[in-house]
Amino acid sequence: MFRLHDVSYTYADSRTGGAALSHVSAEVAQGEFRWLLGPSGAGKSSLLSILSLEVQATSGMVEILGMPVMHARRAALARLRRRIGAVRQDFRLLPDMNVFDNVALPLRLQHRAEAEIRHEVHAIMKWVGLENRLDALPPQLSGGEQQRVAIARAVIYRPDLLVADEPTNALDERQAARLITMFHRLAEMGTTIVVATHNDAIVRRYPAQAIELAHGHMVRDYNG
Amino acid sequence: MARQRYHDGLALRQALPGQFLPFLVAAMAFLAALALAGGLAAHGLSQRWTHGAGAVTTVQVPRPDDAASADSTATPASSRIAAVQAVLSATPAVAASHRLGEDELRALLAPWIEQTGDPALPLPAVIELRTVAGQALPATLMASLQARAPGVMMEHDSVWSDRLAALAGSLQACALLAVLVVTTVAVCVVMAATRAGLLTRRQAIALIHSLGATDSYISGRFATRVGLLALGGGLAGSVLALPMLGVLSWLAAPFGTTGDAPAMDWRDPQAWAAMLPHALLWMLVALPPVAGLAGWTTTQLTVRAWLRRLP
Repeated sequence: MFRLHDVSYTYADSRTGGAALSHVSAEVAQGEFRWLLGPSGAGKSSLLSILSLEVQATSGMVEILGMPVMHARRAALARLRRRIGAVRQDFRLLPDMNVFDNVALPLRLQHRAEAEIRHEVHAIMKWVGLENRLDALPPQLSGGEQQRVAIARAVIYRPDLLVADEPTNALDERQAARLITMFHRLAEMGTTIVVATHNDAIVRRYPAQAIELAHGHMVRDYNG
Repeated sequence: MARQRYHDGLALRQALPGQFLPFLVAAMAFLAALALAGGLAAHGLSQRWTHGAGAVTTVQVPRPDDAASADSTATPASSRIAAVQAVLSATPAVAASHRLGEDELRALLAPWIEQTGDPALPLPAVIELRTVAGQALPATLMASLQARAPGVMMEHDSVWSDRLAALAGSLQACALLAVLVVTTVAVCVVMAATRAGLLTRRQAIALIHSLGATDSYISGRFATRVGLLALGGGLAGSVLALPMLGVLSWLAAPFGTTGDAPAMDWRDPQAWAAMLPHALLWMLVALPPVAGLAGWTTTQLTVRAWLRRLP
């Protein structure tokens, strides 16, 4: 779960001038699935960055998985990050590590046993349909394949909060449908999920509660 | 496929290559070893000059057993030698005094006594003085001695020993400064190498940071790598310095002993080790771990400061 109260965020680079988010408040319970909607530049990515602890809100109150993060210690934030999965638009795969090692990375940072890591990676890669590309390097993969690797890495450790920024962008319709179905299953198992998209078709096909942003302000928080 | 090679994506073998840093640390350790050796040698000379024969002042008292002159300010003494010894023992700058015995005196004067051929020649009493470190004998001492025992003579060699000790002190300070400069340069090199490594792997660092890696984990990984490279470099520097210091010690041996440089079996490692002072050997042994620890600490601080830019 997470709670935002009167949250604002301004880019550190003053040349951009304006605030990315202004006075946003929202509350999402554990195990809920939430769409995050809005046009480009609405502040969706900034909100996801705050939720994934990649940036810190300029003002307001942010509570993630029960922890107020604004004045939390760095070590506590690091522990909290291990419970959050994130799928970014640029995938953030390490180009000099093969697919297996990219997906195994979160488990290795948690010092899991190598046998367990191998089992988990093979299972998730089979699910995303890339079990034959484990030795490939990210630059050798298509955009859709890279996106699936990034999704596999984000969910392999079953995070309590999962944020995804346009995760269906590079996927075909069938793969996108499989992905959203999997997200709903994860939510049923207790993971709070926020998915940013501007794909109206998929939102209509999988109606759920949504947060809508425009120009950094929250337009509405509604049942889709 | 090298699946086990990069477990956490930091790829430190790429970020901190194993050639550049150990080579520089080895050069720094080599220079530090030379500077430490110079400092130790200067310390040894200072000790010799301060406490050796050169620091002794001798007082000759002719006709030692004659009655001393009357002096209203002092307790009357039965003989000239007793009067002189009383004055010396009352002088605060005198740390110790020793009257040479008959045998010591005859051994000292043997060349001259043998030339005269008269073993019954009346000899003066000779007293050796050592002054308190850093203190000079008072200028009025000679006058006081003359008042109690006219004809007394004083030979004062500590002026030269004091000057030489001051020179040795300057050399020690130079050696310390050289060690400080070498240490500072080594720390700067480690900082620069670490920052270059951080920039090379900033994408991977940002990623594992976002996946929950703590600052201590990331800084520990870098520090362990740099610490080991610095340890290796320090070891190489110490090993390279050993033969050079052995040769320098062999060449400097006549300054520490009497006579020529001792014969040495150049093929015997133990002979090399025996040539070096124990303190220097211990410093050479300590140099690699100190270099490793300095590298580890510098890297920890550098990486932690750099990570502060991440949320």
